[in-house]
Amino acid sequence: MNPRRTVTLLILTAVLIGLGVAVALTVNLMPEEASRQAQMVDGLFRGLMGVATVIFLGVEGALLYAVLRFRRRRGDETDGLAVHGNNALEAIWIAIPALIVIVISFASFRVLIASGASEPQPLVVEVVGRQFVWEFRYPEADVVSSELHLPLNRQVRFAISSDDVIHSLWIPVFRVKQDATPGRVAEMVITPTRAGRYPIRCAEFCGAAHTTMTSEVVVESAEEFAAWLQAQQVAGMSGGAGQAGRQLFTQYGCSACHALADAGARGTVGPSLDGIGTTAASRVPGLDARAYIEQSILDPHAFVAEGFPSGVMPPSFGERLSQEQLRALIDYLLSQ
Amino acid sequence: MSAEPVAAPTSNWRRYFGWNTDHKVIGVQYMVTTFLFFLLGGLLAVLIRTELARPGQDLVDGTQFNRLFTNHGSLMIFLWIIPVLAGFGNYLIPLMIGAKDMAFPRLNALSYWLIPPAGILMIVSFFVGAADTGWTAYVPLSISAPDGQTLWALSIVLLGVSSILGGINFIATVVTMRAEGLTFGRLPLFVWGMLATALLMVVATPVLSAGLVLVAMDRIAGTLFFSVGVGGDPILWQNLFWFYSHPAVYIMVLPAMGIVSEILPVFARKPIFGYKAIAASSMAIAILGMLVWAHHMFASGMDPRLRIPYMITSMIIAVPTGVKIFSWLGTIWDGKLRFTTPMLFALGFISMFLIGGITGIFLASIPVDLHVTDTYFVVAHLHFVLFGGSVSAVYAGLYYWFPKITGRMYDERLGKAHFWMNFIGTNLAYLPMFLVGLLGMPRRVADYAPEFTSLNFLASIGAFILAISTVPFLYNAIVSWATGPKAEANPWRARTLEWQTTSPPPAHNFPVPPHVTGGPYDYGEQAPSTSLAPAPAAGK
Repeated sequence: MNPRRTVTLLILTAVLIGLGVAVALTVNLMPEEASRQAQMVDGLFRGLMGVATVIFLGVEGALLYAVLRFRRRRGDETDGLAVHGNNALEAIWIAIPALIVIVISFASFRVLIASGASEPQPLVVEVVGRQFVWEFRYPEADVVSSELHLPLNRQVRFAISSDDVIHSLWIPVFRVKQDATPGRVAEMVITPTRAGRYPIRCAEFCGAAHTTMTSEVVVESAEEFAAWLQAQQVAGMSGGAGQAGRQLFTQYGCSACHALADAGARGTVGPSLDGIGTTAASRVPGLDARAYIEQSILDPHAFVAEGFPSGVMPPSFGERLSQEQLRALIDYLLSQ
Repeated sequence: MSAEPVAAPTSNWRRYFGWNTDHKVIGVQYMVTTFLFFLLGGLLAVLIRTELARPGQDLVDGTQFNRLFTNHGSLMIFLWIIPVLAGFGNYLIPLMIGAKDMAFPRLNALSYWLIPPAGILMIVSFFVGAADTGWTAYVPLSISAPDGQTLWALSIVLLGVSSILGGINFIATVVTMRAEGLTFGRLPLFVWGMLATALLMVVATPVLSAGLVLVAMDRIAGTLFFSVGVGGDPILWQNLFWFYSHPAVYIMVLPAMGIVSEILPVFARKPIFGYKAIAASSMAIAILGMLVWAHHMFASGMDPRLRIPYMITSMIIAVPTGVKIFSWLGTIWDGKLRFTTPMLFALGFISMFLIGGITGIFLASIPVDLHVTDTYFVVAHLHFVLFGGSVSAVYAGLYYWFPKITGRMYDERLGKAHFWMNFIGTNLAYLPMFLVGLLGMPRRVADYAPEFTSLNFLASIGAFILAISTVPFLYNAIVSWATGPKAEANPWRARTLEWQTTSPPPAHNFPVPPHVTGGPYDYGEQAPSTSLAPAPAAGK
């Protein structure tokens, strides 16, 4: 290779690497960083973006240059040079990518190990996925909630499982995701570092209302978190029948698919339950309001409200709800 | 080969509609049938993108949406990309290796005739409650899905049998039917790609078929292979499914890379750069491709320590893939490029497949994957691989071999219009999906948060452009096939064997068995004159 071409190649390589570094340092395509793990993942992601920029611009640039520069001249019917390969060049373009992916693997491994490292006094949260709602249990405080509350800067160890099909707990601002698989308990570790209210998504397709299987995580100070836990305990113990029914309505995921103003539910997959206490009696001849609601919960496909698809609502609530829970839920719905 | 080409057979369009053991007829049957499924899958994609053009659910309800993306993916993968590339293999392999036909012509016809019933099963399933669990059909969701899920499973089993039989036929043909002098070192790179693909078809497909039979048994016969609590395990399905379905990506990409490797040297008027490295990289990708499947399961419940080896094998695949891309750049470098429609699609393949390849590294890195898996980032990645990649190469191949298959030339202006619409549409449809996935939009949802509206709207515009781009292609293909100008035997001055016979070729391909004395890509000045006859006009 002649010296001028060598210099040109070196300059181009330096410019590409400069652009790669610039992209790695300045471009941010991610949502907010709200956990210690998110900072590590984003560092790795920015590094990958830098490498990707160099490769992308290098290859696309070479392609574009070739297309513009080596265009056949009009009337030229001859062939190009009979170059069949170049062993040195081929060895280089095997070795450099191999080196790059080894470095990336090593960096990924380090982030993976560091993000799972245990910290003192972790908070344990059990997560159960159900069609189409998340349930968060705080075993130390005996609290169950459909909204996730976490204290700031304290490591959380999630124990994630499912009651029916596979779901996946994804909290984008934490940069973590873990499938909830029936028959297994999977662990996920994060340390929240920024207060706020952020979305939770189900990321593994889980059936008809997968789209609506969302929740929120509230990251708050240790004091606020303790106060919230206590309030939940009090509500769980002292709430009247209405309170219990409302909680069951949310906890068992009815709110994911049905609208009900009293419970703040806005689901549109199934029929709205506003006013169900008065309309239930007239739906099916021979069934009074209580019998109709009970049938609709235990055997949801026996009668499907007009305009709504059949086969969507899980027929498994009879197994999941205790007799007392079922009665509380029906009482609550009759009062609407 | 030296004799004058004999006259083309009297063209009889009826032979395409019945049982026929001529590999060329079967190849065309594959391509035309699967293109119809492509149009159907594309129609479903248009419905999906119309629903997603704006937030809120306004076109279809949740269940209908789930049916749409399930059958879109299933049609595109199992009834379009895999079988259309098998169609190319059928049409081209015997011609490229100087054989009269495939090794087992009747088995070959059977492989094709399994496809229409499988397609009909999938379409019929729409009327009994279509499968709505995604093309991945994860258990236990797919066990309790409506009846259409059973028809769906049977359809995929039929297509699997077709694929296995086709793979056996390809291997037997390439190993035993090569013309005199056509050593493995002179095999066209498309044939190398198909050979690697056929190995994957034969080794990996039976595993998916077995898994689907287990799903069907759980659904119909009440077995409990995947039931928790009685010894079954949902993760078993994921292992069986991905053991096939990751290699399936290479079943869809290796032949496409082969097509690109055929087209670039012809229109660069230069030999392929690094023949041996490209051929070896096909085999390396096929073998490594069978050892990476669990990278689809990094967020599953499997033992976290098992993720490390799968990350490393997945990363290493970038090396043979890079070899191909760099070798293609080496091929066009210093060439005399002719920008025909097939050349444009081949160059488009490189530029878009590169994006799919680079983002694959992000997905192989476990910590990054745990954020982006099951999001629109994955949707974007797989469409850059399979649409920007495989489908671009299919179009490149359809234009490139159109004169050989039909005996007529296509219209270049319509072809180029098609290319630009396809290129712009692909990038517009799929680039925004990377961003929206990173920001927090999961895949397979019928609705999304308002902040994702503009990116989704752009993606929908891109999808509509892609849909419209099929119009100039179809018009071009149909009108040119009927009334286009007659094609010469070798309009591209190519050196592979299929161009050394008439367009279209006679019933047994070559009037006398060809005798090969040189490589398939000996273009260029100072090229040896001892290659295939008739030699192209070379030299100054």
